Amino acid sequence: MIALRHIALLAALVLLPLDAARAERMVVLVTGASCPLEEITSLDVRKAYLGISVSVDGHRLTPIQVVGDELLSSIFYQSIVSMSRKSYERRALSLTLKYGTPRAKKVESVADAAEVVIEHDCGIAYLWKADADRLPMLKTVRTLWQGE
Amino acid sequence: MAVSKTRRITTPGFSGLICSSLLLVAAAPASADSQHEFLLFPSADTFNTFGESDPAVEDSSVRGSLDVLYSFSTDRFRFLAEYLLSTEESELERLKVGWAWRDEVMLWFGRTHISSKHWTSEYHHGQYLQTSITRPSLEEWEDESGPIPSHVTGVSLDVRHSLHDDASINYVIGVGLAPKFVGQELMPFDMLDPESGHDLSVHFKLSYRPRQFENMQLGLISSWNDIGVESESSPALADLRQIEQLTYGAFADWQWRKLRLIASFVRFDMDLEYFDETVKDDFDLAYLQLEYPVSDSVTLFGRTDNGFGEDWSAYLRLLPAFVSHRHMLGLRWDFADRHALTMEIADTAQQAVVTDHEYFKEVRLQWSAVF
Repeated sequence: MIALRHIALLAALVLLPLDAARAERMVVLVTGASCPLEEITSLDVRKAYLGISVSVDGHRLTPIQVVGDELLSSIFYQSIVSMSRKSYERRALSLTLKYGTPRAKKVESVADAAEVVIEHDCGIAYLWKADADRLPMLKTVRTLWQGE
Repeated sequence: MAVSKTRRITTPGFSGLICSSLLLVAAAPASADSQHEFLLFPSADTFNTFGESDPAVEDSSVRGSLDVLYSFSTDRFRFLAEYLLSTEESELERLKVGWAWRDEVMLWFGRTHISSKHWTSEYHHGQYLQTSITRPSLEEWEDESGPIPSHVTGVSLDVRHSLHDDASINYVIGVGLAPKFVGQELMPFDMLDPESGHDLSVHFKLSYRPRQFENMQLGLISSWNDIGVESESSPALADLRQIEQLTYGAFADWQWRKLRLIASFVRFDMDLEYFDETVKDDFDLAYLQLEYPVSDSVTLFGRTDNGFGEDWSAYLRLLPAFVSHRHMLGLRWDFADRHALTMEIADTAQQAVVTDHEYFKEVRLQWSAVF
């Protein structure tokens, strides 16, 4: 029995950091805790970041881009909008020129992202899960990317 | 002089218009969801034209310009103003307010660029965003001998229908006041002089996008323009009373792997109403541009602008600086994040006053950027 207990403890010690490491390697979509939306589809997320007006159940999504973390930015371009940085920037400029469409607000840090997200009815941002879990004013609405 | 330029200053009373617009913006409901955008598109270019046989076409010039764009958006309201300052002109290009009825439907009021010119409705005056230095002659502005009105003041409806997958159908339909013909060019309606006697323009663009998140699209374009004429402004217009212009055609902006094609074909059916007769004038204008990025920062491109049946056009003879044929090759180098250097060489034919064209070569160099 003692041996079994030791094995269980050892397994917990091994698995806990693994779980934490896995959480750090996940990118999630967050919105303010007061935003009534519980689910936002990945298509709506993509549309919002690509300058198309998206309202879900009457709530307008306001996209916020986190630019201070290079790896997070790469994941944004590759997995969320599926475009190169150059193509994304050109598209955003083009929509502003054609229709006056506002570009996604850019913030440097997680703290800034949280602040701007809660300023809006339903602001959305993408964060590392570990960072999102530490911010009680935010809620996670979907997983956008998971590392291998 | 191969290329005629008209200096246009349309600033008198502009401050009043700006004040009215700012009041309108200030009156719009402000919230955390409101957002301002401010973009600057500067460019500087130089060109040299030379003819093999006629030294009269030799010309060179340096031109600087700055396109200033401002927009203000709230949940359902949008305001957009675009002002162009250059060494040759100073002009309010667009001033419009929009109301989003739904996410997919936008109603605009004000001075806009006509929707039936594909290139114009994609690039406006954002020089940095277009790959080439020159615009296709079919898409030229009114003061550059453009044959179709570019600026219309009125109302337009912009609708997007999402289809299955990522595809969408978009259409724009607009009604407003058309330019009138003054001297050797079309003169847009001046919002500060509503009594200036302009007639009606109706314009339309229908496009299909197989992937609504990308630029690829193809579609149909059409406009009907009732163009008044200031007969006393030029001897060539002495007996001309009115021009009725119907245009219809198609456009494509398509991509195969790295190769991009932008093309448009437009048919002109026109009635030139003189005091004693009506002259029918039909012709076609088209362009086809290919772009191929040879590396991340260098793009090779070329374009052909052509007309069919335009040589004897009575209407185009009123626009002597109109470029009826241009075969162009160019190279663009993007550098330092949002700067570009572009070079073009072209073999060009200008319409000229008589039916014989003026032929010349062009070399152009441009720096453009966006901030």
